[in-house]
Amino acid sequence: MNNILLKEMKLSSSVLSYLFILFGLMFFIPGYPILCGAFFVALGIFQSFQTAREANDIVFSTLLPVAKKDVVKGRYLFVCLIEICSLALMALAVVLRMTVFSRSSVYAGNALMNANFFALGAAFVIFGLFNWIFVDGFFKTAYKFGRPFVIFIIVTFLVIILAEALHHVPGLEWLNAFGTDHIAKQLILFVIGVIIFLLMTALSCRNACKHFERIDL
Amino acid sequence: MMIAEVQHLVKRYPSFELSDVSFSLEGGKITGFVGRNGAGKTTTIKAMLNLIHLDGGSVSYFGKPLIGNETEIKKLIGYSTGTVSWYPRKKIRDIVDIVKRFYETWDEDTYRRYLNLFGLDESKTPLELSEGMKVKLNLLLALSHRSEVLILDEPTSGLDPFSRNEILDIFSELKKEGVAVFFSTHIISDIEKCADNIVYISKGKIVAAMPKEDFIRQHSNEGESLEETMLRMEGGVFHE
Repeated sequence: MNNILLKEMKLSSSVLSYLFILFGLMFFIPGYPILCGAFFVALGIFQSFQTAREANDIVFSTLLPVAKKDVVKGRYLFVCLIEICSLALMALAVVLRMTVFSRSSVYAGNALMNANFFALGAAFVIFGLFNWIFVDGFFKTAYKFGRPFVIFIIVTFLVIILAEALHHVPGLEWLNAFGTDHIAKQLILFVIGVIIFLLMTALSCRNACKHFERIDL
Repeated sequence: MMIAEVQHLVKRYPSFELSDVSFSLEGGKITGFVGRNGAGKTTTIKAMLNLIHLDGGSVSYFGKPLIGNETEIKKLIGYSTGTVSWYPRKKIRDIVDIVKRFYETWDEDTYRRYLNLFGLDESKTPLELSEGMKVKLNLLLALSHRSEVLILDEPTSGLDPFSRNEILDIFSELKKEGVAVFFSTHIISDIEKCADNIVYISKGKIVAAMPKEDFIRQHSNEGESLEETMLRMEGGVFHE
């Protein structure tokens, strides 16, 4: 599995996937819908799917001495690696905004979503949706990725709008907690986000393996 | 020694059907797989490499079914798919560096020997290679991990006569080492020159799978070349 991941990283990927990890730092931007950062990271991963398809990567990988399902798992590993790297940057932004910058006037007057643990949990959900809708959708044909990506865009922006809107609902203001306010509730939502990500990724990977076994290359 | 067995393969497409395709490959023998365009050669080869989902039949290597033993079996198989180029903008050196990690049997000396013999430059990308050189690159990867069976789809297509001869000589060398070589081709003279066995496919059905001498004895008229025999037979199939 290490070899197939290395192949993904060195041969199949686009350099944009690595560069776009930096969009995780958008969690530092005040007055901006920060969850768009997660979308841009996903867009970077999408570039690798394009690069890999142009390079006949899937057939090449299937011909290597690995089980067909390992080709799928290798791609999932690569996708998750990029996602986790960007989530680490987002987590850094959350922690710094909660501590070092907690008194910063720039962040205190933020009209949009604050970078807190709820936002980080929501970013996990967006990546879970990417793995579920796009990556699994791609492996239904191992060729067509336009439709699953468009569906992912629509669903993701609905999630972003919902996440941005929720804290304006009376009683849910705590979702936009600043600093360490309501930390227990925030952490619960964060854990729920992580669980959703793990479930969506694991289940979609299992489905994608099944699809990939059935298709003709 | 029986190295590979293809048994009763069935694959249905809307406008084409591969039906009841069976043959076997022996170690130390060269098998030429012949048939016109669209006869089912590439589909059969894809089935032998588990690239397509079969509607029936099975493929086994070394007595073990491919399905369920994929990883282990693929380590012993070398393949080449003609002029298809992988990672067109990556340097050959970088592609090889990854590929060799998958094979414990990767032989750096053999790799260097064929690299020089084929005149390939590691610093080039597949995009910079001619069609013939792409075939050689695929062959280079297939030959460098000491595979016991080579499955090659049109390995001599697009090559100049000198390179074709080189490849056929390499097949003969590998045969001496006990390797089973299976290659598809349109060029009957290649089969005439080096194949021990012929598998002849037409319209998705195997017409003949037998030693070349037996094929000639059974099907050729006196004074007829193998190419003339096949053209006559294919004409017969065509007019049925």
